Amino acid sequence: MTLALLLAALLAIACVVTVAWPFLREPEPESDALEKLEPSERRRLDLLEARDRALAALKELEFDHRTGTVSDDDYRALVGPLRREAAATLQALDDGALPVEEVDAREGRPARERIS
Amino acid sequence: MARKANPARLVLALLVAAALAVFLLYTSIAGGGNPSIAPSKLAGRTGEVQLAGLVVGPVAGDAHAGGLRFRLRDIAGPSKARVPIRYAGSVPDLFKVGRHIVLTGRLRNGVFVAEPGSMITKCPSKYVPKSGDSST
Amino acid sequence: MAELGRAALIVTLGLTAYALVAGAAAAHIGRRRLARSAQNALVAAFGSTLVAAGVLLAALLRNDFSFVYVAQTTSEALPTAYTISAFWGGQEGSLLLWLLVLTGFGAAAVTLNRGWARDLVVWVVPVFAAVAFFFSFLVVVVASPFATQQAPLDGAGMTPSLQNPYMLAHPPLLYLGYVGLTVPFAFALGALISGRMDERWLVATRRWTLLAWTALGIGQLLGAHWAYEEVGWGGYYAWDPVENAALMPWLAATAFLHSVMIQEKRGMLRVWNVLLVILAFSLSLFGTFLTRSGVVNSIHSFTQSSIGPWFLGFIAVVVAVSLVIVFRRLPQLRSPTKLESPVSREAAFLYNNLLLLALCLAILWGVVYPMVSEAVRGEAVVLGRSYYDFFLRVFGLPLLLLMGIGPLVAWRRASLRSLGTTFRWPTAFALATGVVLLALGAGSSVPGLIAYTFSAFVAATIVLEFARGTRARKALGAASWPRAFSSLISRNRRRYGGYVVHAAIVLLAIGIAGSSAFDSVAEARLTQGQAMSIGDYRLTYQSLEERSAANATELRARFAVTRGERDLGMLEAGKNAYTVEQQVSNEVGIRSDPLTGEDLFVIAEQIDPDGTVYLRVFVKPLVNLIWIAGLVFLLGSVIALWPDAREQRRLVERTRDVGVPATR
Repeated sequence: MTLALLLAALLAIACVVTVAWPFLREPEPESDALEKLEPSERRRLDLLEARDRALAALKELEFDHRTGTVSDDDYRALVGPLRREAAATLQALDDGALPVEEVDAREGRPARERIS
Repeated sequence: MARKANPARLVLALLVAAALAVFLLYTSIAGGGNPSIAPSKLAGRTGEVQLAGLVVGPVAGDAHAGGLRFRLRDIAGPSKARVPIRYAGSVPDLFKVGRHIVLTGRLRNGVFVAEPGSMITKCPSKYVPKSGDSST
Repeated sequence: MAELGRAALIVTLGLTAYALVAGAAAAHIGRRRLARSAQNALVAAFGSTLVAAGVLLAALLRNDFSFVYVAQTTSEALPTAYTISAFWGGQEGSLLLWLLVLTGFGAAAVTLNRGWARDLVVWVVPVFAAVAFFFSFLVVVVASPFATQQAPLDGAGMTPSLQNPYMLAHPPLLYLGYVGLTVPFAFALGALISGRMDERWLVATRRWTLLAWTALGIGQLLGAHWAYEEVGWGGYYAWDPVENAALMPWLAATAFLHSVMIQEKRGMLRVWNVLLVILAFSLSLFGTFLTRSGVVNSIHSFTQSSIGPWFLGFIAVVVAVSLVIVFRRLPQLRSPTKLESPVSREAAFLYNNLLLLALCLAILWGVVYPMVSEAVRGEAVVLGRSYYDFFLRVFGLPLLLLMGIGPLVAWRRASLRSLGTTFRWPTAFALATGVVLLALGAGSSVPGLIAYTFSAFVAATIVLEFARGTRARKALGAASWPRAFSSLISRNRRRYGGYVVHAAIVLLAIGIAGSSAFDSVAEARLTQGQAMSIGDYRLTYQSLEERSAANATELRARFAVTRGERDLGMLEAGKNAYTVEQQVSNEVGIRSDPLTGEDLFVIAEQIDPDGTVYLRVFVKPLVNLIWIAGLVFLLGSVIALWPDAREQRRLVERTRDVGVPATR
């Protein structure tokens, strides 16, 4: 019985430590704000996703055409708009949203760590 | 963004309507199922019903020759009604006196004649009291 | 040691409450350390639940009957494997298992995704914690597995029909499925609350959904196989409410798996997908409620218990809160793209969704109808088998056909002419098959014939897809045909894994059609030496044997089976009488034909004291295809689930490009 209570106490302590760990590790952090994506970053991410989606759709159309699922006529009808879409996203990426180093440098922020 | 009439949406809407129509048609033509009632409520009912109750002995006869004869009473409640049953067909393993069973059939001349093979026994709770008196 | 178990569960309760409150607060006011702390709480909750589970398992293994639960579900004589399975055999233990899997999945899902979906994860944590809080509340307050008593000499034992290998795997797999659906649900709500309503939550949960769906599917097949062999009435699915309880979320999840592809490729159907995942999760909660609360007249009924109202209340809260959140985000959920043509792959997937959902809702209606009619008319009306069979055919057969059509239609729009060319050969093959089958006598069941014909069509389209794809890859420069084939699959895992799963469904359809539309049954009363015939089988009753096994006495009638000229050996059927549990179970004899997949199914309904046996014999054509379908299904899912290094790289590159801050 006492063994059970001892183990229970150990468990409770371990859990409390786990929960308090972020506070114990950094009692005085320089910033406690939850990193959120800046609107420009969000836009860039959206554009990147749109680009990948458009390119993937093109690739799938090419493959479907090659296997014969999509006929020549259908292919001709569909490939044009898809190519234009992909080009548009690439253009938007070049124009609008800049890679983050650029933005940081422009706004005088220190360079961020990257995920490796 | 201008919303022009798109045939695709129309097709979809029609299909949803079709599915609904099939459903309503079936339930109105084929009708609902059978009412599930307790033995104490059986008196006077003429149609096919599903009877749910506890088996009361003595159990006599042979389900595969002439019919198994026993009686059924309410699972819970004060009623003392005991309905005589005649059953032919497969008898589930769990069938015994005191077991909760479900039967489909109709009342004929005071005896509930069950559809062959319609008996279902309720699985007892996962554990069985060692003393053998069933309380499920 | 029961105190340790109880304490551990109370710790879990506290941790989930903290994760809920702190997680929501941290996400709302944007505090990093608090958010991390909440996340840690969720992980720690898994740890403490694991401790509690360990305590229960240890108590089971050492037959500690001072635990009420152990005494209720096991006995000294019970083999070890089944003693372990008693963990989830009773109500309290199964709730603990739910909690264990839930906290485990929650910890894993949050940890694995925190690198690149951080703004999403901060809201996923409180949602997950809320569900975990409910279940920990149940096991702490309402149905604790750690109640103790004065230890009796022996336990009550396990119901004999559960002492079966399939019952070892069936409930855990179903629970993996039910609980697994919590992950996409939590991510969906997290996405809605955080405002990240694009496709990221789909990508993050894609594999979880697939895993849960696969587990649910395999779990059901195992249950069906158990019913077939062990319960032995000659069938494998009875449309029992508890069986339907697992089928409904599976159907909703199938619809969801398809419609997310549309959202990923075209950005459409955002509202629909969110609603679908809420439905799937609610149905899995409802399924657990149905199975455990004893509220429906079911052959599987477990004890009438007090957790019913709690479950119902929780489901109501989940649905209400989710719908409110969806409603508030509705303007932002509108997608930029629209459906272009009723003849396109998007449209085909939508029709698929429609049919799956129609079937799911028809089944739901059938399940709740007794409760509804009792509330409205004072009398519970039960819908029978014919109701379910009707809707399975009306919605299921077109669905089968669609499985062959969908993958071959182009995205956006396809011209009818190109469809004609694509489907020329499969249609011809299907028609030819239909004619041949008709000549062979399959016209006796029109739905069966239709099922066979549609299956032939779909099978042809799948073979064509693989063939054309391999040829295309060879043309693109693969070294050899086998290389082309394997590179085809490895580069398009989801697509071709999906085709393998479709092939499994085709096998399932053929197996179900054969064994239910074209089966035959015969009954006879035999004394020793007498014989009976069914189809071209002949069974001769040779002898009656009685032997003792570990915990039962086995009574077996032995039959010599012949088909035409060939001797097919001996078959046994009879009953087992279990000593501790004082129950009798039916033991059927099954002879499976390896070539045709046909089963000779023998039930010894009644064995009289004088040795006369009353027999019920079925011939079930093609039934073994159903079990083979399970294996193919697993294979297809594994292919689709397999991690794709290329895709992972792309994901990481994208986030790195944007500069998502490193995790600490």
